Amino acid sequence: MLRASPSSNGAMRARPGNAEDESLRERLGEFRALLVISLLMAESVSEDQILDLAASSAAGLGAWRIDGYSFTDGQWRPSIGGCAPSPAGLARQLAALGAVSSKVDLPGRRWAWAYPLRGVGGLLGHLIASSDQEPSAEQRFMIQVLAQQTGVAVSNARLHAKERATAAELAVTNTALAETVTNLRRSMDIHQRLTQVAVSGEGQPGIAKALHELTGMPVAIEDRYGNLSAWAGPGQPDPYPKESFAKREQLLRRLIRAGQPVRDGERLSLLASPRSDVIGVLALIDPQRRADSADLVALEHGGTVLSMELARLRGIADTELRLRRDLVHDLLAEALAYDLRRPHRVVVVEGRGRTQAQDALLTAVRRAMRLARQTGLCETWSGNVAIVTAGQADWDQMCRVIMSDVGIRCHIGVGGACGRPAELPRSLREAGLALRLQKTLLHGGGACEYPKLGIFRMLAGISDLTDVDTFVREWLGSLLDYDARRKAELVHTLTQYLEHGGNYDATAAELSVHKSTLKYRLQRIRELTGLELNDPDVHFNLQLATRAWGTLQALHDER
Amino acid sequence: MTGPVPSGIDEIGLLPGSHVCAFYRGDADRDRLLTGYLGAGLTAGDKCICIVDSAGTAKRLEALPGASGEPGPFDGQLDIHLPESTYLADGEFTTSDMLTFWTENMIKAEIEGYSFYRLVGEMTWALRNVPGVEHLVGYESELNRVTSSYPVIVLCLYDLDRFSGEVVVNVVKTHPQVLVQGILVENPYYIGPDEFLRSASP
Repeated sequence: MLRASPSSNGAMRARPGNAEDESLRERLGEFRALLVISLLMAESVSEDQILDLAASSAAGLGAWRIDGYSFTDGQWRPSIGGCAPSPAGLARQLAALGAVSSKVDLPGRRWAWAYPLRGVGGLLGHLIASSDQEPSAEQRFMIQVLAQQTGVAVSNARLHAKERATAAELAVTNTALAETVTNLRRSMDIHQRLTQVAVSGEGQPGIAKALHELTGMPVAIEDRYGNLSAWAGPGQPDPYPKESFAKREQLLRRLIRAGQPVRDGERLSLLASPRSDVIGVLALIDPQRRADSADLVALEHGGTVLSMELARLRGIADTELRLRRDLVHDLLAEALAYDLRRPHRVVVVEGRGRTQAQDALLTAVRRAMRLARQTGLCETWSGNVAIVTAGQADWDQMCRVIMSDVGIRCHIGVGGACGRPAELPRSLREAGLALRLQKTLLHGGGACEYPKLGIFRMLAGISDLTDVDTFVREWLGSLLDYDARRKAELVHTLTQYLEHGGNYDATAAELSVHKSTLKYRLQRIRELTGLELNDPDVHFNLQLATRAWGTLQALHDER
Repeated sequence: MTGPVPSGIDEIGLLPGSHVCAFYRGDADRDRLLTGYLGAGLTAGDKCICIVDSAGTAKRLEALPGASGEPGPFDGQLDIHLPESTYLADGEFTTSDMLTFWTENMIKAEIEGYSFYRLVGEMTWALRNVPGVEHLVGYESELNRVTSSYPVIVLCLYDLDRFSGEVVVNVVKTHPQVLVQGILVENPYYIGPDEFLRSASP
């Protein structure tokens, strides 16, 4: 058998034999052990592990113990078997101590010493060691080294913990950032894909297809009545189901109110409505309710593109209509050799009725024009019918013909003549003004010709109406205020009374009131104004004021 | 063989007769030390005797590659024991019995034809509440006497997560070499067995 020779690695050494040398070797051995403890503490990342290792190693290093650790934040950490609450008076002593080591008084300990725990960032606290008898200088030095090593190890562990926390925080931030980037990228894809659809003219089928590709869900586009305009993806119902009118209207109201995608059973629906009269519905078919935020973004963006598409389609329809009208006008002016250079005037015919009756009114006007042997261009205009004509007809007679034809009350406003087409807007304005004066101020139905309006025409021609307004307020102010306050019609009553030359019967008939009512109102007018209506000057000024008021009202309505 | 032999751990070489105390943290670190140390011994053709604390660890060691590069069986090259049949045989720890165990096994290995031995012991058995475990440090000191007489290297494994600082200090004081964090710390001032017995006597 081989026998190991004495080795150079310390396995066996010649050893001095005297007691002094043995003691010295023991101290040196303890320092070796302390070195190992320091190494172990340095590699540890757990503050508790470090403090426990240091405290439990004390018993092997000498006849002293570590009672615990007092930290600068006020925390007291006892070692195993140490005093659980901080020893009485210790905190006060340590506060006065600062970063130096010093003797401290501990209850029941003959010797107690506080050693600073220093870290890279400064003082962390103190290691409190004690013994039943004062340790030797070598042992005190060993405690000091242990405290120093413990402080450095704890400081490193705290830095490490902080770094780990920072790293964890960074990891969370990175994850969130990655998620944001992913979402942003998907949003960009959505934007790019749908923008491509918008500019490429793929229409509603293209929008549905793009949205289906982006979300992976079937997509339906419907008109306002629930008819299918486009479908993309699997599972298209055949025949396509149709909701009841009431249910459809209810859904549309919900979509209008929400202004965003709305869950409607298995569908996520969104309204696309570029104009109040243009409506489409874009729907994701999502029975599993798996649509995420990106799908909603895609749906909303798809809704915008669909709105643009619907607006484009309506624009095309409007343009075609305008083109057709322009074509008619061109035919009249050129192809049919209609002479537009003769003096023309604009006549506006208003029929009180539903919008749907416009076509009937237009037909009646054309018929009346033919009967009166008049030529001109007739077209619906702002709910009325506008006529551009070179003729001068009996407009009252024409009004009666129209009324008897369509069975509704109508008024006619006739503008002044204009020598060239560029003046037609002025004639149109005059026709409108005459029409309003006819309706609000003058008695009866029929026609009102602007050139024959006299004082009204003169008043309407004044550019600065400030003085006119002042004059009206001067004579009618009290009545206007009364009417406004009581929702009464004293100014209108006075107007009709004066316009009918003070005739009670005619005035009452025009106002559709009893004569006694009219008399009561006139008495009230006298009381409020303090004026005598039979006085010629008063009569003249009041009539002028009521006509000026009527003109101002008509001008106001025009604006 | 008088020069250092590869320990199989972190490029550390050990001279015959070395008795090294190795500190580790956790099972993974322990397995790293065990597989490195025993793997190098099996490759070199050494007799390897180990005592581990659990059957699971023993099973893993049986799968180590032998001298041929193939995993066991090792035809008696690797002996694996548990504490119940070694350190704590008869339900208690006795220093003399344990030293006899090692000595007999080394003699047996010599008879089998091995010229070098590797011993390793997982020391967590000493944490059990069993009579005699208080003699752990004395045993470690006495073991120095045995190892110095044989062509052997010995590794004692201590789990830092389970042993206190006091045990660490005393083990360091009684071991000529300590392996910690891949560093072999030599202690020329370690307490020899005679000295330890003197200091331990009342």
